[in-house]
Amino acid sequence: MDFLTGFESFVGVNPWTCLFTLCNLLILYKFMKKLLFKPVKNMIDSRQQEIDDLYADANASKEAAAELKSQYEARLTEANAEKEAILKDAYRKAQLRDEEMLREAQEKAAQTLRRADEQIALEKKRAMNDIKDEVSVMAVDIASAVLARDVKKSEHAALIDSFIENLGESHD
Amino acid sequence: MDGIGNGPRILLEFNLFGLHVSITQTVLSSFIVMVVLLILSWRLGKGLEKRPTRRQVLVEKGVSILYNLVEDTMGKHNSHFTPFIGALFCSSVLGTLISLFGGVFRSATADLSTTITWALIVTVMVWYHNIKRNGFFGWLKGFTEPVAVMTPMNIMSEIAQPISMSFRHFGNIAGGGVLTTMIYGALAAGSSLILSWIPNEIIRSIPFLQVGIPAFLSIYFDLFTGFIQALVFCMLTMVYVGAACPPPEETAA
Repeated sequence: MDFLTGFESFVGVNPWTCLFTLCNLLILYKFMKKLLFKPVKNMIDSRQQEIDDLYADANASKEAAAELKSQYEARLTEANAEKEAILKDAYRKAQLRDEEMLREAQEKAAQTLRRADEQIALEKKRAMNDIKDEVSVMAVDIASAVLARDVKKSEHAALIDSFIENLGESHD
Repeated sequence: MDGIGNGPRILLEFNLFGLHVSITQTVLSSFIVMVVLLILSWRLGKGLEKRPTRRQVLVEKGVSILYNLVEDTMGKHNSHFTPFIGALFCSSVLGTLISLFGGVFRSATADLSTTITWALIVTVMVWYHNIKRNGFFGWLKGFTEPVAVMTPMNIMSEIAQPISMSFRHFGNIAGGGVLTTMIYGALAAGSSLILSWIPNEIIRSIPFLQVGIPAFLSIYFDLFTGFIQALVFCMLTMVYVGAACPPPEETAA
C-alpha cells in the first residue's frame, strides 16, 4: 500500500474513480429519494389534497346555503302572498257582513216602521169606530130629544150607521 | 505552481486480488459530498408536518422547484425522474464547490472520470428506455431514421453525446481551476515585483495581491460556473431522457 504516489493525468479516466462515482451517485439517488424527495413530495401532495378538500367542502356548504336561502325566500314570498290573500278574504267577508248587517238593520227598521203604520191605522180605525158609535148614540139622543117622541132606537141606529158609513168612506 | 496540468492527486494505491487500485482526491471528494448530502437529506426530510416550520418551507420550495423543472422539461409523466436529477444536480454543485474548502479537496467534477461516468449513466438510461419502448431491434432501427444514409451520422451523434456532455462539464470546472491557479501565480509574481525594493527577504515574499482578488474570480469560476454547469448537465440529461420517454398516449399511437 503506497500513499501519495503522484498525480493522475489532467485529462484521463480512472476506472476506479468511475466505479466509485457510479456507486456514490446510485447510493445518493436511492437515499435522497427515500429520505428527502418521497416524504417532502408526499407532504406537499397531501397538504394540497387537504386544501382541495377544504375548498370543495367550503364550496359545497356555500352552495347548500345558497339553496336554503332561495328556498326560504320562495317560502317567504309564498307566505306573503298567502297573507295578502287572507287579508283580502277577511276584508271582503267583513265588507259582506257589513253590507248584510246594514241591509238587515234597514229591513228591520222598515219592518218596524210598517208595523207602526199598521198599528196607527188600526188605532185610527178603532178610534173612528168609537167616534162612530158615540156619534150615533149622540145623534139618537139628540133626535129623540128633538122629536120628543119615542123613536125606535134600533131603526134610527141603523139609519145613522149607514149615514156615518157613507161619511166615513168619503172621509177616508 | 503545483496543480497546473496535474490531474487529481493519487492518495492511495494498493493491489486487491491482483487488481491495481488507486484512490484519488476525486474519490475522496465525491465520497464526502455523498455523506454530506445523505446527512442533509436525512436531517431535512424528517419531522415533516402539515404546518411547516420555516426550514420545511425552504426544503419544500426547493423540492417543488426541482419537480416543476423536471415536469416542465420532461413532461408530467416523467416526474419520477426528479430524485435522480436532484441527486445529480446536488452531486455536481457540491462536487464543484468542495474545492472552495481548499486543502486536500479537489473538485470531483474537475476529473473527467466523474463527468464521463455521469454522462454514460445518462446514455444507458436513454438506451434502456428506448429499448424498453421499441424493443432491441426497434432501437437499432432508430439509427437508420429518417434515411438509411444517416446511420453513421446517428451513431456518431450517439457516441458524441456523452463525450460532449462530460467534456463540457469537466472542461469548465477544470479550466476554472487551472485559471485560478495561474492567477494566483501571477498575483504572487506581481506582488513580489511591487515589493522588490524592500530589502527584507520575508516581507518581500508576501504575496499581498493574493488577498481578496481571487475571491471575486472564485465567485465566477467556482460558484457561477459550478451552478451553471450543474444546471446545463441536468437540463441535457432531462432533455435526452425525456426524449426517450415520450408521453404515454404518443407511445400508444
